[in-house]
Amino acid sequence: MKLRARLALTLGIAAVSLLVIMGWAQSRWHSRMRVDALAEAAVHRMESGGRERCEANPEGWPTPRRDAESRRRAGPRNHRLPPHRLFAYDSSFQSRNPASPVFPTELAQQLGTGNDVAVSRSDDPRRAQVAVRMPWQEGPCAIVLMRAKGPPPWFSAAVLMPALLVALVVIMVALFAAGPLVRRVRQLTESVRRLGSDAEAPIEIDGNDEIAELGAAFEQSRRTIEAQLASLRDREAALRNYIANTTHDVMLPLSVLQGHLVSLQQRMEAGETLDANAIVPSIEESQYLGSLLHNLNAAARLEATEGLAHRNTVNLNTLVERVVERHRPVASRKQVALEMAVPERAVELEGDLTLLEQALGNLVQNAVRYNKAGGHIAVVLRGDSRSWSLDVIDDGPGIPEEDRDRVLKPSFRGTEARTRHPHGMGLGLHIVSDVARRHRLALALGETEGGGLTVTLRPGLDT
Amino acid sequence: MPTRILLVEDDAALGQQVVETLSRAGFEPHWVRDGDDARSLQPDEYSVVVLDLMLPGTYGMDLLKRYRAKSEVPVLILSARDDTADKIRALGLGADDYVTKPFFPEELLARIQACLRRPNLSSTERIVVGAITVDFEHREVIASGGTLSLTPVELEILSTLARRKGAAVTRDALVEAALDPAQESSRRTLDVHISRLRSKLGENAAQLETVWGIGYRLSEGP
Repeated sequence: MKLRARLALTLGIAAVSLLVIMGWAQSRWHSRMRVDALAEAAVHRMESGGRERCEANPEGWPTPRRDAESRRRAGPRNHRLPPHRLFAYDSSFQSRNPASPVFPTELAQQLGTGNDVAVSRSDDPRRAQVAVRMPWQEGPCAIVLMRAKGPPPWFSAAVLMPALLVALVVIMVALFAAGPLVRRVRQLTESVRRLGSDAEAPIEIDGNDEIAELGAAFEQSRRTIEAQLASLRDREAALRNYIANTTHDVMLPLSVLQGHLVSLQQRMEAGETLDANAIVPSIEESQYLGSLLHNLNAAARLEATEGLAHRNTVNLNTLVERVVERHRPVASRKQVALEMAVPERAVELEGDLTLLEQALGNLVQNAVRYNKAGGHIAVVLRGDSRSWSLDVIDDGPGIPEEDRDRVLKPSFRGTEARTRHPHGMGLGLHIVSDVARRHRLALALGETEGGGLTVTLRPGLDT
Repeated sequence: MPTRILLVEDDAALGQQVVETLSRAGFEPHWVRDGDDARSLQPDEYSVVVLDLMLPGTYGMDLLKRYRAKSEVPVLILSARDDTADKIRALGLGADDYVTKPFFPEELLARIQACLRRPNLSSTERIVVGAITVDFEHREVIASGGTLSLTPVELEILSTLARRKGAAVTRDALVEAALDPAQESSRRTLDVHISRLRSKLGENAAQLETVWGIGYRLSEGP
């Protein structure tokens, strides 16, 4: 059922019920008034000649015609009397008129206790009976019984008609008043329905009632959903971008690796005797591929979060050992000496194990990659958990002083980092820089005594 | 008796390579490809367990939990995942170390050897490094059968290096242990002490290696 019809029906039912209750209450009051009126009318009638007529002809009193006449006559208080019949009895409740009913026991008892008026109110208002003891208390007409007849007044059109009229008016008013309300609800429905096709259309409902509040709630939810959608789209774009970049970055070393392998095969086919070192570039390239993928993964994770996603106690001693052992196979094949030293007691810090390992790995890998046969790399951890320093020292080509700040700039968004150092060194160092910043570590690039790069990490970076 | 190593790895090519690497290094590998098969094995029968985390059947992490519940055997995790949470969880469940794929055979061997070394309770009385024996109790050094006559500083340097045999020790650490770190000249005199120490070691002088960028190391010998 539509809102407007439901409202009208509800109000109509409420109005009719209210009017019916009022009508019933009024009829009760009326019937009470009627009893008094009937009693007074009986006395009045008997005193104004009724007694004489009754006593003169007790067997035939009252005559039906006079009875009908008396009904039309106004009572002493100008009450319109309801239709009724009269019967006369003597003081022992016997009637001379054979048409009279047996005097009701209930009324006889009431009169017997000294009352002059007795009333019988049955549930059926049509059976209302009033008995009145006349002042003379003797003769065949000492007591008069009055019996009401006809329908109860509250069924009368006088009550029902106004009720129906009021209900009708209420329904009309309700239908009229519900108009703007219904229009606003429809407007809201339309707006919400439009969301399905165009999520960016705002939901606007004027006013400050509950419907406006509902509209505002919808609008708030719509904005939240819109923001989530936008963030999802951004993430999707970032993922596509990541995959595209990864593919591009991986293709390069993969091509180099394929080139190495094909060249090796061709040289062997040509009968050339190859020494074991000929395969080292392929090994190095394959390792570089692996670490590139780890770096891309780290970059994606760093771009996705601020701060650190994980924070655990990291043992730097084992971390240094693990990283050095990871790069030793390539270093030794390149005839680059890779050494490490850690203090006897473990140096610990709170941080992300994978990111720290990746960062240190990048430093060591760069040192190996850009060094030459006969070169050296030393990874040295000094101090204790409160105050420590971690140096990656090499005697490779180093980085010119004017470039050092630039390569550490903590940004690897877009392709800038990659194009600047086509072979990925940029990405690696940017990750180091970003990881250091997130762990509040100071990162410094310096020159090794006698030439080369020394990278130092230590706690205590002020943000 | 060769050291038995349990390898739980589902990938055929990688598993084969690791088995070959381990065999060449003198270990006796036992390769299981399925996590469910690995469940029924007794970890105590092996010296090291090399466990892949991504396995068909029983997930590597569950296997680790299971092994750790009934054995103290060192467990080395092979992980393709660059995920800190996984590593931290594995270490928290009692894994001793992990190797992230891709890895070189040498790296795996180094990690396995580190696992085997772990319960390394070196004697506090005397340490033997190749031909050199440092006797802490009697405060003397024996090299190639003869007792060396060392100054207290030289003895302290050699003791410090011997305690960390095979590992590079920084110059700072040696100065701290054997000389007066407050004196600016100490760092320079360290080289003089080392030089004298080498001449006293004679034919075993090569065991006292200079490590570029770090300091010195006492190694088992060439």
